[in-house]
Amino acid sequence: MWFKRSFINLIRLVNDLFKRKLILGKSLLLLVMLLVVMSGLISLGCVRGLQPIGWSGTVAADDGTLFVGSKEGRLVAVNVTDSSRQWSELLKAPRQAGGFGCTPALGCAAASAGTAMYGSPAVAGDLVYIGGYNGKFYAFSSSSLTEAPWIYPREGNLQPIVGGPVVAQGKVYFGGSDGKVYALEATKLSWEWEFQTGDKIWSTPAIEGDTLYITSLDKKLYAIDATDGSKKWEFPTEGAIASSPLVYNNTVYIGSFDRYVYAVDATDGSLRWRSEAEAGNWFWAKPIAYNNVIYAPCLDGKVYILDAEDGHEVADAIDLGSPISSSPVLVNGSVIFASQEGMIYALNTDNNELKRLASIEGEVYSPLCASEGVVYIHTQDLTLHRVDANTGAELMTISLKKPEED
Amino acid sequence: MNPWELIVQQPIINSLIMLSHYLFDNFGLAIIVLTIVVNILMLKLTLKQVRASKAMQELQPKLAEMQKKYAKDKQKLAKERMQLYKESGVNPIGCLVPMLIQMPIWIALYQSVMLVLAVAPEGLLNLSRYLYSWPVVFSILPLNSEFLWLNLATPDIFLAILVGSTMWVQQKMATPVSADPKQQAQSQMMQWMMPLMFAFLATSFPSGLSLYWVTSSIVRIVIQYYVTGWGGLVSSKGRRPITRDEKYKRRITSQEEPLEDDDTGADITVSDSSQEEGLDYGKSGDKRQDRGGGYPTSLRATRRRSGRGKSHRSKRR
Repeated sequence: MWFKRSFINLIRLVNDLFKRKLILGKSLLLLVMLLVVMSGLISLGCVRGLQPIGWSGTVAADDGTLFVGSKEGRLVAVNVTDSSRQWSELLKAPRQAGGFGCTPALGCAAASAGTAMYGSPAVAGDLVYIGGYNGKFYAFSSSSLTEAPWIYPREGNLQPIVGGPVVAQGKVYFGGSDGKVYALEATKLSWEWEFQTGDKIWSTPAIEGDTLYITSLDKKLYAIDATDGSKKWEFPTEGAIASSPLVYNNTVYIGSFDRYVYAVDATDGSLRWRSEAEAGNWFWAKPIAYNNVIYAPCLDGKVYILDAEDGHEVADAIDLGSPISSSPVLVNGSVIFASQEGMIYALNTDNNELKRLASIEGEVYSPLCASEGVVYIHTQDLTLHRVDANTGAELMTISLKKPEED
Repeated sequence: MNPWELIVQQPIINSLIMLSHYLFDNFGLAIIVLTIVVNILMLKLTLKQVRASKAMQELQPKLAEMQKKYAKDKQKLAKERMQLYKESGVNPIGCLVPMLIQMPIWIALYQSVMLVLAVAPEGLLNLSRYLYSWPVVFSILPLNSEFLWLNLATPDIFLAILVGSTMWVQQKMATPVSADPKQQAQSQMMQWMMPLMFAFLATSFPSGLSLYWVTSSIVRIVIQYYVTGWGGLVSSKGRRPITRDEKYKRRITSQEEPLEDDDTGADITVSDSSQEEGLDYGKSGDKRQDRGGGYPTSLRATRRRSGRGKSHRSKRR
C-alpha cells in the first residue's frame, strides 16, 4: 500500500507542477528522467569485456631490460636493477564516431586515449616490436623508447592486432584481426608478404626453420613458408583456436575451443594425437613442454599433463581453482602458472606436485615472463609484480603508470 | 557467478548461442528470433501494460477537468481523483507493475546480446564463464558477426536511424492527441527525445544491440496496433475508427447485462473517453471489468455488491 500511496503522491506532485504552470520544472523533470534512463543504458552498456583493455605480456632483453605494453597505451622499458622506467609516446587509439566515448575502441566513458595492447613485445637487435589494437605495428629503438618508432602501415590502420610478433631471418611476423599473417622487413617494417586465413588471428606465431606456424579463429592451424608466405599445410579442429602454437620435437601442440589438445606433425600436418579427456572449457593459453611432457592450462582452471608422444595423461589434471588464460613459464624445472584470480603456483615437473608460490593483487591475463629466477606478472592494474620462483617471495612491484608531467 | 548471472544471463546467453547454431550460424537471426520469443512470452504482461496505459490516458481529459474544477481544494481534488479511478476501474500503478516485471528481462536480454557479441578479446574470454557444457556451445564461438550488410560488432548509422524511427513510430502510436496544449507539448517532447537518445546511443554501440532495439520496437508497434490502432500516428480524421480492443469492448458493452470480471479475457477495466466514444463518464455501467489481474479485490467486491453484474455463465444458465 505504501508503494501505491507513494506513487499517487508522485502523480500529485507532477500534477501540481503542471497546475502551477511550472513549465520549467516540468521540463527539468523530463530531462532528469531521460538522464536517468541514459545513464542506466550507458552503465549497462559497459558490460564486462565489451571494451578492449589489453593484457600485454612482458619480454626480457639480453641486457636484462624488460619491455611491456601498458594499459595506458605505451610501451614501457623497465630496468630491473634499479626499477627505473622509460615510456614510449602514447600509441593512440583510432578516433571513432559515437556518443559518450562509448565505442568499442575507446572504452566506455572512461576512455583512455591510448590503444590496448595484447601480445608480448618481441626484441631483436636494437629494436623492440609490438602491435596495437589500433591496427598499427610499431618498432622502437630498444635503447631509447622516446625516439619516434617505425610504423606499419604509415597511413591508415589494419584491423586490431591482438597476437604478438615473432622475429626471424630478418623478418618480423604477426597476425591481425583481418585474418592475415603479415611478414615485414625487420628493420624498416616494409611489407614482404601476407597470407589470408578464414577468421581473426589472435595468437602469436611460432617459427621453426623456414616454417611459420599460426592458429586462427577459423578453427585451423596453418604452416606457412616463412620466406614467401605460401601455405605448406593446414590442420582443422572442431573449435576456434586462440592459443598460440608450441613447436616441440618436430610436433606442433595446440589447444582448441573444442576443448581438446592436438599434436600435429610439424612436417606434413598429420594428426599425431588428440587428448583423450574433454576439458571443461576452452584452451586459451599457450601450452609448455618439458621432459617430453606437455602442460596445457585451461579456462576450466585445470592444468592438463599429457605425454608428448601419445597424449595420454601422465598425471591427473591439477585444479588451480580459477581460469588460466596466461601462458606459463619454466623456471629451474618448475612450471609456473598464474590463475586469473592472481594465485601463482609452481608445478614440480619431477613429481607433479603443486606448490602455491604467492597470491598477488590484481587479475592476471598476460603471459608470464621469467628472468634470472624471477617471475614477472603484469596485472590489470598497471602493475608489474615480481615473484621469486624458488621461494615465492614477493619482490617490490613496479608501477607501469606514467607519472603526470609537470 | 552471482545469482543474476546464474539465473538470468547464463540461460539467455546459451539460448542465443544455440539459436544461432540452429539458424544457420547466423547471430543476427538469433537476436531477432530470441527478441520475438521473449516478447511472445511476455505478451500478456505487455498487453496489460499497454491497456492500462491507454486507460490512464483516456482518463486524462476528465482529470484535467477535475484539476480546473477543484484547483483550490487539494483534498477534494485528491478525493475526486481517487473516486474517478475507482469508478473507472483503473489502477494508477496498473501500467507500472508489468513494466517493472519486464524491465529485468529486457536488461538481461540487452546484456546478453552485448556479452555474446564479444567485441574485444576480453569479451570472448569473459564469455567462457557463462557457457553450459554443451559441445555445440563451445565449438561455435566466436559467433559470425556478419548479418546482411552489417557487422554486428560495430555501430551502423543506418540501423541507428532505424532505431530512432521505429521508436518514434511506437511512441507516437502510444501517445494520444491531447486537447491540452501543455500536455501535447510534453508528449511531443517525449516522442522526440527518446528516439533521438536511442538513435544517438546506437551510433556508439555494436549494431547487434541496435538490431535488438529495432526488433523490440517493431514488436511493440504490432502490439500497440492490436490494442490502440495507429493511435496518435494518424490525424483524428484519418484515425482508424475502431480498434480490435474497442470492437471487443463494444461487443461486450452492447449486451444488456454487464459482465462479471471473471468472465472476460481482457486485463483491465477501461472507461472510454467521452471524446472518442461519446459516453457519459458518470455511468459506471458503461465500463467492462476484465479478469481483474492487478486490481484490488475490494474494488471488484464493491462492483459485485452494487448488484450490477451477473455472470455470463449464470445468464446462459
